[in-house]
Amino acid sequence: MVVGNYGSGKTEVAVNLALQLAKSGKSVSIADLDIVNPYFRCREARQQMEDHGIRVVVPPAAYTWADLPIIVPEIKGMLQPGPDQISLFDVGGDDAGAKLLSSLFEALGDSPYELWQVINSRRPFTDTPAGCLQMRNQIEQASRLKVTGLAVNTHLMDETTPAVILEGVEVARQVSNEGGIPIRFVAAMEELAEAPELGQLDLTILQLGRYMLQPWIQKRENKRIPEAKAVPIGKP
Amino acid sequence: MTKVLMKGNEAIGEAAIRAGCLHFFGYPITPQSEVPEYLAKRMPEVGGTFVQAESEVAASNMIYGSAGVGIKVLTTSSSPGISLMAEGLSYIAACELPVVLVNIMRSGPGLGGILPAQGDYLQATKGTGHGDFQLIVLAPSSVQEAVDLVVLAFELAEKYLNPVMVIGDGMIGQMMEPVEFPPEGQGKPLDPGDWALTGCKGRKKRIINSLYLDPIECNDINLKLKAKYDLIAKKEKRWETYNCDKPYDLLICSFGMMSRICKTAIDDLAEQGIQVGLFRPITVNPFPYEACRKAMDKAKRVLVLEMNMGQMLEDIKLAGEGSKEIDFFGTAGGVVLSPDESLLKMRKSLRKIPKATKAKPKKKPAKKTKAAKKRKSR
Repeated sequence: MVVGNYGSGKTEVAVNLALQLAKSGKSVSIADLDIVNPYFRCREARQQMEDHGIRVVVPPAAYTWADLPIIVPEIKGMLQPGPDQISLFDVGGDDAGAKLLSSLFEALGDSPYELWQVINSRRPFTDTPAGCLQMRNQIEQASRLKVTGLAVNTHLMDETTPAVILEGVEVARQVSNEGGIPIRFVAAMEELAEAPELGQLDLTILQLGRYMLQPWIQKRENKRIPEAKAVPIGKP
Repeated sequence: MTKVLMKGNEAIGEAAIRAGCLHFFGYPITPQSEVPEYLAKRMPEVGGTFVQAESEVAASNMIYGSAGVGIKVLTTSSSPGISLMAEGLSYIAACELPVVLVNIMRSGPGLGGILPAQGDYLQATKGTGHGDFQLIVLAPSSVQEAVDLVVLAFELAEKYLNPVMVIGDGMIGQMMEPVEFPPEGQGKPLDPGDWALTGCKGRKKRIINSLYLDPIECNDINLKLKAKYDLIAKKEKRWETYNCDKPYDLLICSFGMMSRICKTAIDDLAEQGIQVGLFRPITVNPFPYEACRKAMDKAKRVLVLEMNMGQMLEDIKLAGEGSKEIDFFGTAGGVVLSPDESLLKMRKSLRKIPKATKAKPKKKPAKKTKAAKKRKSR
């Protein structure tokens, strides 16, 4: 389950995770649970994901472009995945979005789960460790679940530099120390993932392709999906 | 200053605070709701006031009252909500009060949908409400420009004692980009001048009112407003030209986010050796007719691309005064042309230009082609 404040990059991270896990041979389902954002939701990358054999669970077609809090029945089934199956949940932003998870609390029961908080420390309200921890508390209260990992996703879109990412790692390390939550990975766009500054980190780097594109950006066809070897998923 | 990554809507809220606006009254509506959401969190941090009004009608009257007592004030909404504010805005303009409002346009008409559109251009620039009044209307094409124009909007509102509207399509509100803000604490409170209702102890009382039963008096008010709008038109026109320093056959006219899509297509065409110019008004009211005409004069043909059914097109026609053939392509309902689709529309217009009149090969004027004859006889 991918949570965080809105605009932290949850959807981009979730879509990339789904694609990389599918490439590694896992049977992947992803649910678009975003009840906060009206645009840039993972349903916009539905085709690309389905092309890679991913099951994409979204509201009925008539409500694709609505901003309604729709929870389809398949979601509950996804909470008990079989062996070699992975269910990903792209949750809406802030505690408002995470509240939806609370309605799944009973259905989840004792099933193991990972709840990852995506952090972009260049976003308002999560620019300090204190802000990130406050966001974690709000999300935990709203969802009745515990954050089990941090996904460092500090970036400035096209203006991201390795220094910006490292600055995000520093904030996340403090959140990790104070909150007792491990850092699962550091996300970086393909062109930055190989930067030597990031190679020195003792953390997993998740290479990101961009799927949530602004309308003036030319779409690149046949996007290469990076290998998923480093994604620490399925080990709750 | 460090750049932060912000959604257009959040950035608009923060820009208002940086401009010294500490009062917000508004009502949520997609795709604008992040403005009130952000300001509900931020206003208490800076000692400001956030009120969720009971409706847009109420919000428009709250900004009317606040501006009347000399408070710097902001409201934001999206298309149907702006329609509801129309009456209040007419009163505010009649009373010459400085307010700033933002319209993050969604698709229409009616309830339409929540996806981006530019269908409120004519509403914003020509007929926001009843009576002879005008708004100053600014149209950003990026999140950074939205920040800059919100700051400018407060300056212009105060300078001319007139409501100023910033219009962006839903994408301007929803997309995220790195932005920089003016430093905190730089924005000043509104100067109450000789008009704001600040308590009349020790001075002559002031009245803010838009009821004038005497026809001469009401005519005079209209003349005064007209003189102000003429002054604004003289002083405040802003625009951008892109790729217009090279000779071009085709001029694209678009505003807001659509112009950004066009720029990608124009860059792609330039790589193929075809130069196309772009004219983008930043103040869509007052519309920069003269600058637009100047850019049109250098072209053989004009293509207007909008996310509506042809609204700014009317201003382009006024600017051109029939001197150029003008093509138009528009999408609505939340459909947004991709750069490639825009490029195809540009190529289609380029093909309509008779070869003999094309700018590039500066050889002897060729014989009239069939197309040129046909064009002349039209």
